[in-house]
Amino acid sequence: MSEPRPALLDGEKVVAEEFSATTSRSWYRYLLLAASFIFAAVSVTFVGSIVAGSFSTWTHHAGTLLTRNGWQTPNGPFGGLAMIVGTLETSLLGLAIAVMVGLGTSIAIVYFVPRRLRNIVATLVELLAAVPSIVYGLWGFLVLAPWMLSTVEPWLNSWPFAKTIFGNPSQQAGPSLLLAAIILAVMILPTFVAISREVIAAVPQDLIEASLSLGATRWQVIREVVLPTARIGLYGATFLALGRATGETVAVALVAGGVANVQFHLLYPGTTIAGWIATQFGESQGVEISALTAMGLLLMLISFGLSLISRTLVSRQRKMMAVV
Amino acid sequence: MSESSTSNVVGQLNPAERGPVAMSLKDVAVSFHGRTAVRNATFDVVKNRVTSLIGPSGSGKTTLLRALNRLHDLTPGAKVSGQILLEGTDIYRGDMTATELRSRVGMVFQRPNPFPTMSIYDNAVSGLRFNGVKKKALLDEAAESSLRAAALWDSVSTRLKVAASNLSGGEQQRLCIARALALDPEVLLMDEPTSALDPIATLRIEELMTSLKNRVTIIIVTHNMQQAARISDDCAFLLMGEDRAGELIEFDRTEKIFNNPKDSRTLDYTLGRFG
Amino acid sequence: MNSVIANAPTELGHELRAQIRRTANHTRARRVVISKIMITLSMLALLVAAVPLVFLMYQVIKNGWPVLSKDFFTTLPQTPSLITPTVTGGVSNAIIGTIALNIYAALMAVPVGVFAGIYVAENNTKFASALRIIAQTMSGAPSIMMGLFGFTLLVRDFNLGFSAIAGSFALAVLMLPVIIIATEISVRNVPQTLREAGLALGAKEHQVSLKVVLPAALSGIVTGAILAISRAVGETAPVLLTIGGGFINAWQPLHPVSALPLTVYMNAKSEWPAQRAQVWGIALVLVAFIFVLSLGARMWASRKQKVNS
Repeated sequence: MSEPRPALLDGEKVVAEEFSATTSRSWYRYLLLAASFIFAAVSVTFVGSIVAGSFSTWTHHAGTLLTRNGWQTPNGPFGGLAMIVGTLETSLLGLAIAVMVGLGTSIAIVYFVPRRLRNIVATLVELLAAVPSIVYGLWGFLVLAPWMLSTVEPWLNSWPFAKTIFGNPSQQAGPSLLLAAIILAVMILPTFVAISREVIAAVPQDLIEASLSLGATRWQVIREVVLPTARIGLYGATFLALGRATGETVAVALVAGGVANVQFHLLYPGTTIAGWIATQFGESQGVEISALTAMGLLLMLISFGLSLISRTLVSRQRKMMAVV
Repeated sequence: MSESSTSNVVGQLNPAERGPVAMSLKDVAVSFHGRTAVRNATFDVVKNRVTSLIGPSGSGKTTLLRALNRLHDLTPGAKVSGQILLEGTDIYRGDMTATELRSRVGMVFQRPNPFPTMSIYDNAVSGLRFNGVKKKALLDEAAESSLRAAALWDSVSTRLKVAASNLSGGEQQRLCIARALALDPEVLLMDEPTSALDPIATLRIEELMTSLKNRVTIIIVTHNMQQAARISDDCAFLLMGEDRAGELIEFDRTEKIFNNPKDSRTLDYTLGRFG
Repeated sequence: MNSVIANAPTELGHELRAQIRRTANHTRARRVVISKIMITLSMLALLVAAVPLVFLMYQVIKNGWPVLSKDFFTTLPQTPSLITPTVTGGVSNAIIGTIALNIYAALMAVPVGVFAGIYVAENNTKFASALRIIAQTMSGAPSIMMGLFGFTLLVRDFNLGFSAIAGSFALAVLMLPVIIIATEISVRNVPQTLREAGLALGAKEHQVSLKVVLPAALSGIVTGAILAISRAVGETAPVLLTIGGGFINAWQPLHPVSALPLTVYMNAKSEWPAQRAQVWGIALVLVAFIFVLSLGARMWASRKQKVNS
């Protein structure tokens, strides 16, 4: 049996401590680095696989994808024009509605809702922004679509020039691009209001007092001082909402009608890039999958661009407010 | 002469020393949700003079000032009682809207607050634009006149379209003064206008006030006694009472307040016995 | 200095003053009316915004509540037939599937996301900045792309087929950027003074990070993780392309599974009214779950905030 180990001398104790500190430090540091690398690898693979998966389409059929109308399964030609146009139509119209209503809503919440209710309203808005899109899609399909068909569309069709704008009533059957735009508007409204409310509320009170003290009416204060001061953040909110609208998949898939044909009559069914991918994916193979992936890549570039613009704007607005 | 309570001495100016009155306060009190913030304010603001409101913090000076252009209308639960007359018309109960009042009684705030998205020129004429003035010739003239009056014209005339945020703190405050002056108000309220500025900028604005009083009646709140002594003609001293409500203790010509006040508390304050 | 003041004209021309006064007085009534109209319009906008959203919530509750029952949660789905048009069974397959998917996804995304987030918050290297930009960019990606990625990589290239693991991978990719950003913000918000106090007491850098900063940032990190999970629970697009669906109570990673949002998507267009009705019940469950999770996370975070300060 070996004799009991002599106790560590002081100097050795210090070294031992340092040593254990070093190893445990590396352990933690490696953990952090590993997680970071995993994330980086996943992201790179993400982009890579989308690019690789769509490569063949981009190299051989880019023109067709971007400019042709008509999607021929199973072997092509795969024309994505209808999806691109549909995405633009539904997102931009939905955005226009959401911004008009949302701006007024934010102003009302910040200035005209009683102080006690303000927190509740802000929480409600955030909760509504968390409702999953499938629920909006469900409601749109089962509730809004029948209502549109029975009530709104007859009214719209009775307008002068209805046939030019809205097309032939016999081809309107509930799911439509207009319905998709409306559902998108309802969906992105809470997101838009959450941000625009924040930037409007951040306009310093003394600017408001200063303009009132010059004899401005309340609306003049909002229009000439508050909105211009919050302008950059409001643009940021707009781009964010647009980004969410373009990427929206299932709600659109449920209410737009899934018809791949370029459509300017908004009461006809149509489709968007995201909606089309969702609808077609189940039965597609090979070449078609590549085409769908290519459409996805296009969508991703649009979303990335919009989200980048939005973030830059909102952070610039926040910096500006910190200085004012 | 009016006296509100036995322990206060509210001085009125010797009638022989009064001139035409711009604003007149009688028993003015401001309360928030029932809790009084300031009371007992009775005095006349004589035209073309600088009247200062002095007193330690919490004495209700700013609260009283903000009642004079109805800024408390913005605050739910705020109540202003008593009578405030502008050229004989009650500003709360008379035939005058708040918007109209504010085009006649301007305000400059503690921290310079030019509108950040507007140029120097746009800031200067913003009051005019709010009030519906659109003619360029009118705007240009008013801009130049008010910027000159604020002693800012020489340094900004060549860069009027530049963003207002490019100016220094003192210049920004003078821009705010110009902005208020452009509307040609009868009264200019100033809420500690130099407390956020460096000593040199402060001095320049004090000089400005002395020249401005020919053009407009000035009511200034200041926590700086020496400033009040330097620039004001009349002086109102406010103090916070035991019930945490501020009240007017004494009102008189500045020399009297600082050299020979009627109330011992006024003397204590001016001698620096409490801050 | 003095000369500048001396040269300043002290008066606006008399005619000018009169013109300003006149214009101001003439336009005032109109300006006040316009102000009142615009204010009414903005209140109207608030109403227009609130009505569909309130209506939606109302219908989810009204249509969904009657559908909920013990059977709903515990039995497998059945297809209605002409003889038994109201027999739909329950959604136990979807519930088991959703639970499994999100547990797997959380196990993948939360550790990686939190630690990567800490790394980004505490390091100023180019790599950390790149990670931050990647996270922010990825958080703007449409969720269908995560589904596409899961399909391409796991279902097809790795040959795992439609499976829970493919679906949870897609969800994890969705959750990662959200968690990283939330973690980074929480860690950055820990006051510098706390860090300095730890160092002053003789703790090493990594000890400060682990034992001082992390606990302080914990409420924000947990909130971020919970919000990411609550978002993943309701997502349809990532699972649509990866999990395959199914009508048994599957949960095994390599097995195709069902999920609540997927069931909604598939049955919303069903020809059987009973199945469409059932879908409202699922929607109610999803919304209730997400609300409870979000509210709970926020309330817990704000209480923890108060205790800490």
